[in-house]
Amino acid sequence: MSKKSTASASKSSSKSSQKITTSSTAEYFSKNLQQVGFSSLTKAVLTTLKEAVDNALDACEEHEVLPEITVTIEKLGAGSAKNSDQIRVKVEDNGPGIDADDVPKVFGEYLASSKFGRGRCTRGQQGIGISAATTWAQLTSGKGARVITKTPAMRKALSCTVEVDIKNNKGVQKDRETIDWDRPQGTSVEFVFDGRLQINGEAGLQNYLMGTALVNPHLKLNYKLPDSEPQVIDRVSDVVPEVPDAVEPHPHTMKLGEFMAHSHLFGRMKASAWLRKGFSRVGDSALEEIVKVHGLRKAVLEKFVDSLEDQEFKDLFQAIQKAQLKAPSTQSVLSIGEETLSKSIKRLGPVDFFSVMTRKPTICDFKPVEVEVAIARLEDKALEPDSSVQVLRFANRVPLQFDKSACAIVQAITSVNWKSYGLAQPKDGLPIGPYIIAVSVVSPFIKFKNASKETIDASDELVEEIRRTLMQAGQRLCRHIRAEDKANELEQKTRHIEQFGPILVQGLCRISQASDARRKKAEDGLLKILGRDARETEQELKTANENLSSMEEKREARLNPKEAAVDEVLVAEVVEKAEKAEKPEKKTDKKKKNKRSKSTAEVVA
Amino acid sequence: MPSSDQAIPKVSKELCSRLLADLEKAKRPVILATKCALDNSIYNHKVGYLTPGDKKVRTELNVSSVKKMSRAIFMLEVLLQNLDTGGINTKRELYYISKGYIKRDAGLKPLDFTEQGESDETIDFICEMLECYREELNCYANDRGGQTYSQQLIVTETMPDGTKATIDLSKLGTSPFQPKNRPQNLKLSMRKKIDFCLIVESEGTANTLVANGFTKRHPSILMGAQGVPSNAVRSWCKAIQEQLKIPLYFFGDLDAYTLQNIYRTLKAGSAASLIRNSDYSAPEVKFLGVLPADIKKYDLNDYPVKENDAQEVRALKKAQDALKNDPFFQDKKNKGLAEILRWLISNKRRCEQQAYFSVNPKDPIMPEKIIVEKIKRGDYF
Repeated sequence: MSKKSTASASKSSSKSSQKITTSSTAEYFSKNLQQVGFSSLTKAVLTTLKEAVDNALDACEEHEVLPEITVTIEKLGAGSAKNSDQIRVKVEDNGPGIDADDVPKVFGEYLASSKFGRGRCTRGQQGIGISAATTWAQLTSGKGARVITKTPAMRKALSCTVEVDIKNNKGVQKDRETIDWDRPQGTSVEFVFDGRLQINGEAGLQNYLMGTALVNPHLKLNYKLPDSEPQVIDRVSDVVPEVPDAVEPHPHTMKLGEFMAHSHLFGRMKASAWLRKGFSRVGDSALEEIVKVHGLRKAVLEKFVDSLEDQEFKDLFQAIQKAQLKAPSTQSVLSIGEETLSKSIKRLGPVDFFSVMTRKPTICDFKPVEVEVAIARLEDKALEPDSSVQVLRFANRVPLQFDKSACAIVQAITSVNWKSYGLAQPKDGLPIGPYIIAVSVVSPFIKFKNASKETIDASDELVEEIRRTLMQAGQRLCRHIRAEDKANELEQKTRHIEQFGPILVQGLCRISQASDARRKKAEDGLLKILGRDARETEQELKTANENLSSMEEKREARLNPKEAAVDEVLVAEVVEKAEKAEKPEKKTDKKKKNKRSKSTAEVVA
Repeated sequence: MPSSDQAIPKVSKELCSRLLADLEKAKRPVILATKCALDNSIYNHKVGYLTPGDKKVRTELNVSSVKKMSRAIFMLEVLLQNLDTGGINTKRELYYISKGYIKRDAGLKPLDFTEQGESDETIDFICEMLECYREELNCYANDRGGQTYSQQLIVTETMPDGTKATIDLSKLGTSPFQPKNRPQNLKLSMRKKIDFCLIVESEGTANTLVANGFTKRHPSILMGAQGVPSNAVRSWCKAIQEQLKIPLYFFGDLDAYTLQNIYRTLKAGSAASLIRNSDYSAPEVKFLGVLPADIKKYDLNDYPVKENDAQEVRALKKAQDALKNDPFFQDKKNKGLAEILRWLISNKRRCEQQAYFSVNPKDPIMPEKIIVEKIKRGDYF
């Protein structure tokens, strides 16, 4: 595990009357834990759990291990602070384990991370969260994190308590011992701290665990919450998602300064070669376009990149921004995929029907982003039918549970006219009904509004991208609702015939003083008329169901391109053409190749 | 349109028999009802009120309309029974009576009304189907004509048992007379000559004028319109116009809503009640004001229409539509009224009837003086 320590520069000033001191990163965070998710007793429990689970999942994925995580949360008694409880959160995984030397860095040192700034879609990024959890436990209960870990290379497991040396931003191990552990590898981390339990509701632990299961179809989750029986959520996919390596940057994702700084990494090289080698999605056709269409002098491309003038950099940058480049590579963005999402959504509980949508990655605010949406109608419709839909938000497959209204996802949901898809919706509000709308935003660089990563910044571009995904999912959902409406209509019409027919005829007979024979004849006639109407509706229902089946078949075909031999040939052709058109990007293994084929298949489909 | 008491049962029987005959042939029965909407309204100043055009609403029996038709036939039976026995009921009573029948007979349960609006709609549908007034089906709203004051008016009412009751309005003190909405049972006469009848939009303002001695000083009838005039108010004004042959003046706010919804309804009826406007409109009633010219003449406190007030903005938009589509405002005899609407749309200002009170705050009978002066001068439309 690599380490990136904080550079702390000491400052002095002869003019200043007060002495300027330097604080460690740990000191800063220990005084500002509210900035990283510990702003209340309730949030402390959820943030601790979240950080531990995120680390476990990231570690498993990094080492291609199918994760099995066991979560135990207990209330031990009264906490040290007023009106608080002492809570124990324990998270165990079957991951690769942590090398003994790295344990204090992982749990006790801020900004010690193997993922910082790498441009990958991992859950954790900076190396703050789990150290903050240790600090919170240390500050409220006097004890840090209790860790047991074992790598496959270790004969015995390491057991220790990690605490944060706040003055020096260092992890300190205590009570270190080696123990026998009944598993080949894994990590168990336990925190005891002041907190308050919130099991249910939007910001509840249950919601977090269900959301985590939804966007991690390969996860087997065992959990035990206070006052309830242990639960097991089995995995629905046996494929460990491969977190793609960062690809070369896309020119449209950069600002001028970054563009110029990027050139320094390549030494003496022609600008044209630099553009082709140093960026993704820039090929010969793009270089031709910036010269012919966007008016860049050809000589600029022929110059060595280390001798380009500032103005030339600017011209080159502006021209390439105007060029019609392909969207950023899907390889840098990890998607759950419609197929696995379809399986996973059923783990939330019995659903009537659902609709999933995965959009092609696009650029929002200079960064590649992929949005996925799953909408499900719950079978248990009696459950508060008039309340708003349940919204599950995810950023890089981590549930977001606070500060809902400011989030890009919620703003996008409220901006959609759900009435046109058959859902009730108050003006400018969330739609109403027994539905779950899950929105996952995946990007190597998600723009959060705060360090505790609770809300995605609502930029216009991102909101629009989420909105489009929601609308596409809404269109798919709408077919189900229409088919259901037709079925209801047919049932209602049939009921109408049986209910009102005799009443109408009898009323007419009484007023017109008609005989029984006329009544009988009229009743027969009425049934014939209304039967014709019902048959028409039956036909409409049949058509609606056929449309729905056809949509499902198309979706299946899109998700399983291997089953469609013809599609496979097309895919191969398209890939071949694409590779000829531009320099092939590095492919390290067969798995990546398959992944690319699949994404292209989506384009073909 | 049925013209006598016997006509409605007869027309109903024929209609039901026709529907039944269609059903026997497995042919979809069709009911044609007069379209009661502005696009089917005709206004002729010689007739004086909005009359229906040729457009009909066609209701064909199908699975969607079977409930509506079943309810209509069921309610028609109840109403015919009333006509047979001479029973009279309000809409609300009919709602509960119907519910009673339905609760008692499980077979009728699908017809059940969940709220009064549903049974009211059914009664209106029957009226359109038979082209008759609701009142002709012995169904009256629980309503009375506007509060009326006069020192000269005498009303003789024929009671259901044939006896007569005479009401001398000058003997009622500060109490107003409010007739039940069956003006055909009322006979009006004058103890002394009555110069005019003043209908005031706000009942409160009517009461204030009377309290300040209006009816003592002027031989007149003074009535409150209760905002948008109900059938009872409209028929009461019609009775005054027909029986007493005196001039009628309407005094209300200067705004689009008053002109279109209150005054036009009183004078020419409404599009929703096309088939009964002949008995529920008083075509002779004149618009006394507030007129746009009064603002300048009396220095009245007017003010701009609030741009963010949805109701006022809607009324102005409706006024624009009225100028284009309402035959009443398009008639050449009503050019002056159409001009007021145009003035309201272009100036976006309004003035309340109560503005007359502030012309001279020291003189409480100033509104009375202005009203009488305007009548004398013929300053009205």
